[in-house]
Amino acid sequence: MQSKLVKSLVYWLLLSPLMVVILFPFAVMFVTAVRPRDELFVFPPTWWFSEFRWENFAEMWVKTNFGQALFNSVYVSVLSTLLALVLSIPAAYALSRYRFPGKGAYRTFLLMTQMMSPIVLVLGLFRLMVALGMVNNLNSLVLTYAAFNMAFTIWMLQSYFNTIPRDLEEAAWIDGATHFASLRRIFLPLAVPAMAVTGIFSFINAWNEFVLALTMIRSSEDFTLPVQIYSQVAGRYQVEWHHVMAGTVLATVPVAIVFSWLQKYLIRGMALGAVK
Amino acid sequence: MTSFSGLRPLAMILPGLFLAMFIIGYPVVDLAYTSLQEVSRFGKLQGYAGFANFAEVFADPLFWSSLTRTAIWTVCVVGGTMLISLPIAIILNDDFYGRGLARVIIMLPWAISLTMTAVVWRWTLNGRSGLLNATLMDIGVLAEPIEWLAEAQLAFTVEILVGILVSIPFTTTIFLGGLSSLPQESYEASMVDGATRWDQFVHITLPLMKPFINIAIVLNVIYVFNSLPIIWVMTEGGPANGTDILVTYLYKLAFRFGQLGKAAAISLIMFGVLLVFTILYVTLVTRGDRQPQEVADE
Repeated sequence: MQSKLVKSLVYWLLLSPLMVVILFPFAVMFVTAVRPRDELFVFPPTWWFSEFRWENFAEMWVKTNFGQALFNSVYVSVLSTLLALVLSIPAAYALSRYRFPGKGAYRTFLLMTQMMSPIVLVLGLFRLMVALGMVNNLNSLVLTYAAFNMAFTIWMLQSYFNTIPRDLEEAAWIDGATHFASLRRIFLPLAVPAMAVTGIFSFINAWNEFVLALTMIRSSEDFTLPVQIYSQVAGRYQVEWHHVMAGTVLATVPVAIVFSWLQKYLIRGMALGAVK
Repeated sequence: MTSFSGLRPLAMILPGLFLAMFIIGYPVVDLAYTSLQEVSRFGKLQGYAGFANFAEVFADPLFWSSLTRTAIWTVCVVGGTMLISLPIAIILNDDFYGRGLARVIIMLPWAISLTMTAVVWRWTLNGRSGLLNATLMDIGVLAEPIEWLAEAQLAFTVEILVGILVSIPFTTTIFLGGLSSLPQESYEASMVDGATRWDQFVHITLPLMKPFINIAIVLNVIYVFNSLPIIWVMTEGGPANGTDILVTYLYKLAFRFGQLGKAAAISLIMFGVLLVFTILYVTLVTRGDRQPQEVADE
């Protein structure tokens, strides 16, 4: 018992430098978000400030048109997630249950597209969207996010589907159920948690995406949150840092909490099941 | 027919496959085509140009300096991440008071988008009133505030450190997965033989963790070498192109300077590099089933 206490102390001491560096920007974020404006640029710089100005949040909401950007982010993240799920669920089911010609090649294709990064293709994607007349249209993001997320969602779903015993479905067929009925009554209800977790990660990916949103969206009323916050920092002579930090808090904290809570499920989607 | 065979699965994968081919496949083809064309400032293709765009890229000193910096960026971020993450994972894999809390804190950077992290660091490092300067002056390390992002060398170093910080959670998670699968008996047996903890680390943990370390290196290289947000948000590749890596340079060429032919050529070069590492990754993963056995046989 004594030794576990000592061990714990040593471990915390070893981890503490990293933890300080991790928590430091969070402290900066919160402290700046509630600072009065005229205490931002003080010299010499200091952590001290005179009052908690919670009004900063309300002010920021109105001045930066935060509500519109929030709506855009929700729109893009929800629709791209739904599209990815609708296309991924059958594909993952096929991968998990069936043998079919080209299955190995298809799995390799998924692994390769999972590693494809939008930035390397961004110019080609932009030209594609120009050709489709979809530049400055949030639906261009819905399509691209769904396409880039799909490899991840299919992979993650099929690793969960593998854990649902197929005997249940086969037993239903023996009882005379059709394929569709066994899917709907037996398989899908069991697969709901897997789909929910996968959907949430797909949502967070879309929520956090920056490069494509920066490229495809030109007018400020269509900005998603990352681009909206970036646009308040980049190329401005005077940055309203207290508004920027208030926006960052609102845009990240809820998602960060959900992510931290579900993060242990994530590793399945990273195709690491194969390593174990 | 009710069974798990037949052609039905092909119909199930086709819609998704079609979208992926369209959104991911088409741009690759288009980039390859564009890179061989002469392109006007306004994006109009003006006819076949052979390898003129590639020749122009290879004659461009900014391309070479960005390439060098990409190599430094990737090696430093991935190397630093590996060195820090393995000990962290070993600690977190052990039982101690407050481990749950420690895990949550270590994983925190993963939960925030890179863009937001970079925005917050840009303010934290503000040369006049940034709170990093405030802290360092309070504890007496600095007498005067430092302009962290105004000079390329220092800015790039800081960006590498932020890059390491945000890569630690993912890497630690991979290592934790690996550590939890190590056979406990080897450790007990070595204790009987009088091995120290360092011996155990060198002769048991490291060899058995090799497949996980390989995967973590390859995945991190893939993610890091084409990661734009940190550098873009903190310095936009500046000052004077001094922190440009290939992706930031490519992005400027394409969307600021309108040099689409050159940008397409660089995209294609990067696509090639990405492909090499992706194939390496696919080989590691598909070989994975066999690997622990191979390691045990060594």
